[in-house]
Amino acid sequence: MGKRILSRALATAAAVLLPAFLLAACGGAGYDADRDSVHSANVALRVWGPQEEQANLREMCEAFADANPGRSYSFEYGVVSEADARDRIMEDPAAAADVFMYSNDHLRALAEAEALYEITRNKDDIEARNLPASIDSASFEGRLYGYPMTADNGYFLYYDNSVFSAEDALSLDRMVEVAVAAGKKIFMDVSNGWYIAGFFLGAGCSLSIGEDGGQICDFNSADGLKAAEAIRAFTSSPVFMTGDDPVFQGGMGASIAAGVSGTWNAEIFREKLGDRLSATKLPSFSAGGEEIQMASFGGYKLVGVSSLTKLPTHAMDLADWLTNEENQARRFETRGLGPSNIAAAERPSVKADIALAALAEQNVYAHPQNDVLNSFWTPAESFGLAMENNAGGDLQALLDTMVAQIVAPPSG
Amino acid sequence: MTKQLGIGPGGGMKARARAANTAIYIALAVLAAIWITPIAYLAISSFRAEKGAFLDGYVMPKGYTLGNYVRLFTDTAQFDYPRWFTNTLIVAVFSCIISTAFVLMVAYALSRLRFRMRRPIMNIALVMGMFPGFMAIIAIYHLIKIIGLDKSLVALVLVYSAGAGLGYYIMKGFFDTIPRALDEAAIIDGASRFRIFWQITIPMSRPIITYTALTAFMAPWVDFILASVIMKDNYQNYTVALGLFRMLERENIYSWYTVFCAGAVVAAIPIAILFVIMQKNYVEGVTGGAVKG
Amino acid sequence: MQDRKKTGAAGFFRPIGALFSAAGEAFAHGDWKTRLSFLVMGFGCLARRRFVKGLLYLASEILFILYIALFGSRYLKDLGTLGTVTRSQVWDGEEQIYWYVQGDNSMLILLYSVLSIFFIAIFAAAYFANIRSAYEAQAEDAAGRPAPGMRDAAASLLDRKLHTTLLALPTLGVFAFTLLPVIFMILMAFTNFDRAHQPPGNLFTWVGLQNFLDIFWMNPGKSKTFYHLLGWTVIWAVFATFVNYLLGMVLALMINKKGIRFKAFWRTIFVLSIAVPAFVTLLLMRQILQDQGAANVILQQLGLVSQPVHFLTDGFLAKISVILVNYWIGIPYSMLITTGILMNIPADIYESARIDGAGPLKQFTAITLPYMLFITTPYLITQFIANINNFNAIYFLTSGGPLSLDYYQAGETDLLVTWLYKLTVSFQDYNLASTIGILLFVVCSVVSLVTFNITMGGRKEETFA
Repeated sequence: MGKRILSRALATAAAVLLPAFLLAACGGAGYDADRDSVHSANVALRVWGPQEEQANLREMCEAFADANPGRSYSFEYGVVSEADARDRIMEDPAAAADVFMYSNDHLRALAEAEALYEITRNKDDIEARNLPASIDSASFEGRLYGYPMTADNGYFLYYDNSVFSAEDALSLDRMVEVAVAAGKKIFMDVSNGWYIAGFFLGAGCSLSIGEDGGQICDFNSADGLKAAEAIRAFTSSPVFMTGDDPVFQGGMGASIAAGVSGTWNAEIFREKLGDRLSATKLPSFSAGGEEIQMASFGGYKLVGVSSLTKLPTHAMDLADWLTNEENQARRFETRGLGPSNIAAAERPSVKADIALAALAEQNVYAHPQNDVLNSFWTPAESFGLAMENNAGGDLQALLDTMVAQIVAPPSG
Repeated sequence: MTKQLGIGPGGGMKARARAANTAIYIALAVLAAIWITPIAYLAISSFRAEKGAFLDGYVMPKGYTLGNYVRLFTDTAQFDYPRWFTNTLIVAVFSCIISTAFVLMVAYALSRLRFRMRRPIMNIALVMGMFPGFMAIIAIYHLIKIIGLDKSLVALVLVYSAGAGLGYYIMKGFFDTIPRALDEAAIIDGASRFRIFWQITIPMSRPIITYTALTAFMAPWVDFILASVIMKDNYQNYTVALGLFRMLERENIYSWYTVFCAGAVVAAIPIAILFVIMQKNYVEGVTGGAVKG
Repeated sequence: MQDRKKTGAAGFFRPIGALFSAAGEAFAHGDWKTRLSFLVMGFGCLARRRFVKGLLYLASEILFILYIALFGSRYLKDLGTLGTVTRSQVWDGEEQIYWYVQGDNSMLILLYSVLSIFFIAIFAAAYFANIRSAYEAQAEDAAGRPAPGMRDAAASLLDRKLHTTLLALPTLGVFAFTLLPVIFMILMAFTNFDRAHQPPGNLFTWVGLQNFLDIFWMNPGKSKTFYHLLGWTVIWAVFATFVNYLLGMVLALMINKKGIRFKAFWRTIFVLSIAVPAFVTLLLMRQILQDQGAANVILQQLGLVSQPVHFLTDGFLAKISVILVNYWIGIPYSMLITTGILMNIPADIYESARIDGAGPLKQFTAITLPYMLFITTPYLITQFIANINNFNAIYFLTSGGPLSLDYYQAGETDLLVTWLYKLTVSFQDYNLASTIGILLFVVCSVVSLVTFNITMGGRKEETFA
């Protein structure tokens, strides 16, 4: 008896739920784009950008519609930051926007999953008008997977010019001496793979991808050891200060007189230091008796097109438009973002920006992040933390452990 | 003298009780201070005039302002807190009602009713919640998407309350302590089992219902990962937790941190109010009420 | 007690066997109306004027066939391979783009197949119920008994069958949003869904027990990490569950003690810490406890320390900090739960104990503690498991840090579950994560089922009080 009623309840539940699934079933047809879409009169595109870009995005999309008369466009805007785009897309590629913004360190994962549309339309023009490094960062295995949008996701040196002279800022050793005398701190988040890599890459080490798709890393070479010794010398000096961004933001201009960070802090520091703020490329450090220029990672933000878009030609045209010279210049004016477009980057107002100028100086020593796999970050951070905590012991052994973890896949 | 001797032990006990109470007051005061300090600091930070998440070598702010609260409710172009607050409140109210109802239903059935499959159901329910949850999120998202509810507040209510029945243990344990004689007497009077549930058991279980309702009400204010997967790009349907987290991103944290503190303080208000309202139910303990009567 | 112990497989499969034998009996003894119900669901009921029931059965059959035809079969047919077609592309010189023809999506095939199997199971239940109803209707008609009216059925649902009414919706919710996803996750452990096989562009497929073998052959560095994290996870769970619970109870007892005034005020103060969303408090604590944070500034200004205390960056201190901060969050919860139950302890038990000369401590160990444990053992078990899987507390406070090169991609305060999460996020090896998840799950369930059935099964649930 009990079971009968239970079954009836189940049958009722089935009667309620199934229609919903049926509806979904009928709607869930294939994802293939149709060649007829090229000539369709109505174009509906979904676009993702971060919240702070939304106002720009709307105006640029409307301008795009105006520039292409004869078609009626409708846009749907969604808020997904460049940093979140990969996760949101991988969870459900079918729900991705036709056109979205993402950062280049996510390109490999997205391209390997075939979530990105290969950019072939107008390719020569895109390559010609953007910085070569930005094109590299938007490419994977020789194919282009994004339109470079900004060239500012890197780091350089900020300093208080009432403490350091421009000449002091050229060398880390000199800066430490001056800071000791002035009783000020120098900030660098050494327990962070992104920043600490600057020492190793500067000393001539490299990160690359092996034939089996695994990470290759030689940070435990003789060069790496020199870099590690320099790191240890820096972190054990009394002026060294570490922490996350808020620590630097809070202390800059007061207890902190210099530090390594990126353009996102420029406005804050300008507000706090005014004319005392200077920025330049990263300093050199001495290792094994020679001065070595510190390198860095250079990151780019890209506009991508979903491989599942039903309107690939229109989506690509829009992505192209969103990243043209005019719109990159506009992003600089409204949000202070550094252009990857060569012509936009040459504009006087961009050149006059101290943060972007410093970044451009550092860009010469910047390495792309394309060949860095996710296995790199945690061991590098562990190593940095050991340096910050002034862990004693054999540096070479620490480096070997770090590299072993970086190159080892989790299974097998 | 004899009289005093007679009272003596009693008086000593009273004195000892007073000493014990004083000790308890001191302990409670110290603990209360420990518990209130971080919250007070959060509140102080929400009135801080200096921006940034980090104070350079000092603890108390150098200036105070109401500006953070004003900004929280008026500067909505980038962070639409009022809207997110409303969203969360709606989701919290509904998922609180549904979850509490589910827990009550399951706990009562498993505690007071006897039927085949009772023990298997209890065992299965026990182990069901033991799989690490974060990997289920993608599956849940796709199920929600099939029924066309992705990016909606209804979906959040569903995922927060659908599995609530599994958390029946504490309520069942409570029901187990209510004497069965009460039920039996009611059955003799001709009451249906539903009436017993509704008119005897529920009124006697207020403290535990309060607890269940409070925890269910809080889930939407706290959850971050599930909500971000389900809401995707739909900024309009964000919850407070999702929105507050955005304020802490690298580009925002400096100018929004104190506003974030203000947002956290405001988010705490509904839960605090709910508890103060329900506080009465705690005072009316079960033993003080129906059982004795 | 009619509640015979029917645990495990036997309790599960016997009813299913009974279903088939009942169906066989119905077919053997049924008339044509009943037999036609085997083909057209609800026919027997409809033909015998039980319209509501009959229509429901008929509707569920039609919907089920539509579902399988339009949706389910598309994915079920690929369940064996999880898809075979990869994306192909055609160059279009005129538009200068590739046109893609999308291939199969293994993940959706797996998910929708699980869903379809779930529906098939529901349908099967409805199908057998349909046969039984038809046969019962036949018997009722033969005996000349009237069909039970809807009103009687409804009344029974509020009385003798109340458990069905009460459990129906919660069960449905658990099936859809807990059981289905868990089955989906478990199945992933038997596939090669890793970073080299990411949908939509790549297919994954079944690999049997390969992932489990990989885990047991794990290299020493990883198993060292595994055992270390396992040990810390257990320590953490013990502190976060049992000690937390005891302290919460002591707090509740202090507030509840006769003669203590302002009870509502004390409770509200502690509940305030619950009111602030936990991730906010955890992040706030992270700020306060960091090397340059408020705690260290105060300690240094008071001259208690000269160098910052590494609350979160020293391995041992960080573990203590994590446990203490978790108390700050957890004790008010324990206080709330225990308050409710403590008030339920019959006062006369204490009275008679007092007459027997039991002091406060004796009363606590002889009455309060056993009583509380009796009621809350299942809760404590689930809390213990929940703390083993307590992702948020660790993730927001330390993110597992301080990281250490002694462990593979892990830090000193990482729990197994946060390590799992890191591995999943950074390597996208869902199969590995799922496999470790299953192993954890098996251990947890065995431990908790044994504890649960020893503590609950050995005694009657009603005997206390």
